[in-house]
Amino acid sequence: MTAVSDIALGATSSTDPPTGVRPATDATVARRRRRVTWGFRISAATIAAIVLVTLIGPFLVSDPNVGSLSERLLPLGSAGHLLGTDGQGRDVLSRLVNGGRPSLLAGLIPVAVSSLVGTALGVAAGLSGRLTHGAIMRTLDVFYAFPAVLLAIAISAALGSGISNSIIALAVILIPPVARVAETETRRLIDLDYMEAARASGAGGLSIAVRQVLPNVAPPIIVYCTALIGLSIVYAAGLSFLGLGVSPPTAEWGLMISDYKQFLYSFPELTAIPALAILVASVAFNVLGDGLRDLLDVRGETLT
Amino acid sequence: MFGFLARRGLLMIPILLGVSIVIFITIKIIPGDPVASLLGPTGTPEARAALEDRLGLNDPLPVQYFTWLAHTITGDFGTSIARQTTVSPMVFDALWNTLILTAAAAALALVLGVVIGALTALRRDGLLARIGNAFALVSISVPQYSVGLLLIIYLADDAGLFPVSGMYSPNGGGGFGDLMNHLILPAVTAALVPAGIIARMFRSSVLDVMGMDFIEALRARGLSERRILWHAFHNTTPSLLTVAGLQIGYLLGGVVFVEAVFSWPGIGQLVYLSISQRDLPVIQAGVLVSAFAFVLLNLIVDALHGLIDPRVRTH
Repeated sequence: MTAVSDIALGATSSTDPPTGVRPATDATVARRRRRVTWGFRISAATIAAIVLVTLIGPFLVSDPNVGSLSERLLPLGSAGHLLGTDGQGRDVLSRLVNGGRPSLLAGLIPVAVSSLVGTALGVAAGLSGRLTHGAIMRTLDVFYAFPAVLLAIAISAALGSGISNSIIALAVILIPPVARVAETETRRLIDLDYMEAARASGAGGLSIAVRQVLPNVAPPIIVYCTALIGLSIVYAAGLSFLGLGVSPPTAEWGLMISDYKQFLYSFPELTAIPALAILVASVAFNVLGDGLRDLLDVRGETLT
Repeated sequence: MFGFLARRGLLMIPILLGVSIVIFITIKIIPGDPVASLLGPTGTPEARAALEDRLGLNDPLPVQYFTWLAHTITGDFGTSIARQTTVSPMVFDALWNTLILTAAAAALALVLGVVIGALTALRRDGLLARIGNAFALVSISVPQYSVGLLLIIYLADDAGLFPVSGMYSPNGGGGFGDLMNHLILPAVTAALVPAGIIARMFRSSVLDVMGMDFIEALRARGLSERRILWHAFHNTTPSLLTVAGLQIGYLLGGVVFVEAVFSWPGIGQLVYLSISQRDLPVIQAGVLVSAFAFVLLNLIVDALHGLIDPRVRTH
């Protein structure tokens, strides 16, 4: 997926003009690598639109929890109910718009928490001696032994349902992969000359971590975490779908799918609406991650 | 090769111990007072003390852990709160069903991923490659619980092509063909995300290998493009195996949603049903055996890795 490997193939592909004859200068390579892709622009605009709708939308639509049973299961495009109504006569558009905030927050907060904790753990492990490094990384290996979703389910089931508990559970399963990326990137820097210089000039461990390591490990971590947001939104809605997230009657996308699946055979579009919202948000963050990778010129990290 | 496998096998022991500690902690963090709920409102302090003693709750935590571990290792996962039966047979039956679904989905994901990855890498500007890229991108973002539901609607209910749920037909059926028929939709649903990830990884891996010097050398020696591709693919297998191994873990977790939607009688559905009943012993046993299966599968992937790539063995 990386632009770097695209160029590598371009140099050997038999159909392309023989670029190998006249090697590209560093400047042209850099220009070709660091580009703002259309995918980046479109996904950034999509995310901005989603955020705007979740922030302002709730003031523009009706109360998501009010519905009359005489108006239940109205089809799409009904007067006053653009997306119809659900089994309790509640406006689907209103629930979709109001459901945006818990759905996005339940996806975003775990990534925010795990990016901070994971980076701290990974950088600390990368900079410390064999013993501490081993202790941190082997502990993280234990979490890798779990199928991630199942661990999240076990933790949030033990803590009890609720949005804060599902956030904690997701943060726990996202910390190890972030920490591993941070550790790999830190190890890459450790023998470089400028690190040697920093150590020689008497900089302490914390100062090296913050001033020398952090600026250099940040770009790959930002790229990785952006793509993690898409995954986290899907997982968070999944936990609600299973009954571990927000509790009814709160409007939330995963809970909407779980609510509407009883009408699957008669009104499949009802299920499709929140599903589409989750898919669009998740694709948007994944494309944004790809675009950021091209923009920041980061080597590819496979999302696991 | 044997030494390599033995080393990897020994490495599993601390990992599995760690896994058991994490599960034990999730048991201990459960809010509420288990003794009070077992005794009911009429429990006297004396009865309470006796019960606490009998359950070993007054022992220090490490003692409690090792007692629990001894039970777990012998396959004793306790009693289900909701069904009042022992947990182990339930969990092991379900694990077998989950492994069937996981294996089918993994095979499907691998084939799809490799085909799409190779296609998008080798025909970079073709229409098919663009479609392949878009597919890979969307499929890694897909919420399985909703895709599964929509497949049920359009392929199972409307078109009547596949059964809607379960593993075998309640009457008639029961054979291998019946199982396959029930397996297709859940396997496709579960395979989507890993297929997308494998496709994206395999694409960049093919591109990397095709840019290496040895490809140019093969071309200079006049090998046909087909032979060159064969050499290139051979060089991508190690990274393919690594990603495939990680994806098995993803599948073992992701099937929870798929099983819940398709009522596939595996660990996922067991866990899903146990959530609403707050049946924690079943949830913990389900997660524990899944993690155990995942660690074992990883060992197999490691062994294959060692077989294919001799460099791995010496590390």
